[in-house]
Amino acid sequence: MKIQRSAKACLVEEARYFPVPGAHLYTVLHQVTEPLARVLLIGPLASERHFAYHPWIRWARYLAAHRIEVLRFDYRGVGESTGVFEEMSFENWSEDVHLLGEWIAGQTPRVPLLLHGLEVGAILAARSFNQGLGDALLLWSPPANANLALRSSLLQWAGLEQLYESPRNRRPASEFIRRLEEDSCIEVQGYLWSGRLWRDSFMWALPGTMKEGSSHDEMSKRPVKISMLSRDAAPLVKPHLMYDELKDISWLYSDNFEWVAEALQLPDRGRNGSGD
Amino acid sequence: MDQVIEKRELFVLNGTGASVRGTFHKTRNDDSLEKSSLGARERIGVLFLNSLSQTRAGKGDSSVYWADSFAQAGYPSFRIDLPGFGDSEDETPKDLLAFINRGSYAKVISAKAKELRERFNISGVVLMGLCAGAVSAIHAAPVVSECRGLILLDPYFHLPPSKRSKTWGRLSDRLQQSALRRLIKIASNRVKYIRALFLGGRLPSNSNFPLLTCWKQLASTSLPIIIFRAPTATRDREFDYINYNLEHAGQDNQVVLKMIEGADHTFANRLGRAAVRQETENWLSACFPLIGQEECCLDIASREHE
Repeated sequence: MKIQRSAKACLVEEARYFPVPGAHLYTVLHQVTEPLARVLLIGPLASERHFAYHPWIRWARYLAAHRIEVLRFDYRGVGESTGVFEEMSFENWSEDVHLLGEWIAGQTPRVPLLLHGLEVGAILAARSFNQGLGDALLLWSPPANANLALRSSLLQWAGLEQLYESPRNRRPASEFIRRLEEDSCIEVQGYLWSGRLWRDSFMWALPGTMKEGSSHDEMSKRPVKISMLSRDAAPLVKPHLMYDELKDISWLYSDNFEWVAEALQLPDRGRNGSGD
Repeated sequence: MDQVIEKRELFVLNGTGASVRGTFHKTRNDDSLEKSSLGARERIGVLFLNSLSQTRAGKGDSSVYWADSFAQAGYPSFRIDLPGFGDSEDETPKDLLAFINRGSYAKVISAKAKELRERFNISGVVLMGLCAGAVSAIHAAPVVSECRGLILLDPYFHLPPSKRSKTWGRLSDRLQQSALRRLIKIASNRVKYIRALFLGGRLPSNSNFPLLTCWKQLASTSLPIIIFRAPTATRDREFDYINYNLEHAGQDNQVVLKMIEGADHTFANRLGRAAVRQETENWLSACFPLIGQEECCLDIASREHE
């Protein structure tokens, strides 16, 4: 499935299924002729994917317009990918990142590869990076561990998000947490969370050496940037906006692109794309 | 990487106007039908329209679940991102809700339904939409010549109040999570209810009259329509549009109303999605039986074996 976005910029977005054990991942490759670099976008999980979708795609298009080829995807059991969410684990999702990372790293012509993770995706990106994948790492709002991300989604959902729930389904967040701790399943925004997912989430953490700010990986000296996004960057991060709250976050794109260009040592021509 | 997998296919419809991306959920017999011109006879597909959710997967991926299920039951299903949604190339319209309430997606839905018919070997579509998606479906149905039915989840027939003032906005924000807000909401609902008692059968001034006209036109033409309501649909307390519409649907109407206990507004929770699946599959098989098509597929399969 190919589509050419703009005749002038020759930007093609190609949606394909990528086979992984037991499922197919939905991927969209924002193709660039003669790319200066490539980026694997590793997005947030489940319901967060849904809220952050538009600004995440716009970021992919912004990068592509600056001659950086981008691959974005849905995790196993989420969105357009196949698989059953409640049967999946962080192990599976980490494998998704690893397999796609290997695929994009093997594309020709060989150019530098950036791993960019958002929220839970930031943890998965950081772990793959620690295993040697990619030439630079950009993390937006990584939680210290995946449980904090789940907890924050649960708190929000159990609060205002339940306004449309039937009265008998309304319960405080503490009760949902208790059920998860008792190994029961709960539903959050239409996704079934298992006690196993909740337990495992504590073990999926950012590598200890990674701290907010710009730095380098201690071992390999590869560039790393970690930013905690503020409310101004919503709906990439909470609070999620209403459907009619369109927001321009191009400032975030341009700031981060500057870092990407520097980190990957892109020639100046990459900085003068036809982006937003 | 593949565009087609065993049960799904990714597509782009770029025939006229906007390019629309989507996912096709194949039936068991789809591969056999491609080889047969007989298959297109009364082969009905389900076309999912976006609600206010950002993507064609819907909240909690409920649309993926339903499309998988309907395809498994023999009805090819199509989920698309209308312009401004999901993977589409276009920007979201500035006032999306007003855009939808005016029926502005009808033209593109009509064009894309035609493309689907030509490309995927179907004779017609049943339009399915939740909330704002249901509004788009009602607006589009009269202009979609391929439309054979409607599946409407919590449709609404009113227009939102005009934009709140800055002062009220600030006050409302402060009250957002407080108990006082809850009290005000309860009191306001009470007032609306009492007002509705006095209104009787008259439509409120903020009704979406063009949409109601579309509805009346559709219901009187015996178009099969199934409406799902969640018990939490609070918007209609001011005026029960669904009952009003049923009363004014005409004698020949084929409108079925299903109240789904335990469902939330999006029907994305387990109870809601399972009930919608079951009721819709029953309704589809009653209104658009598969028998002839199944026989045709069996014939093809047996000929291939010979």
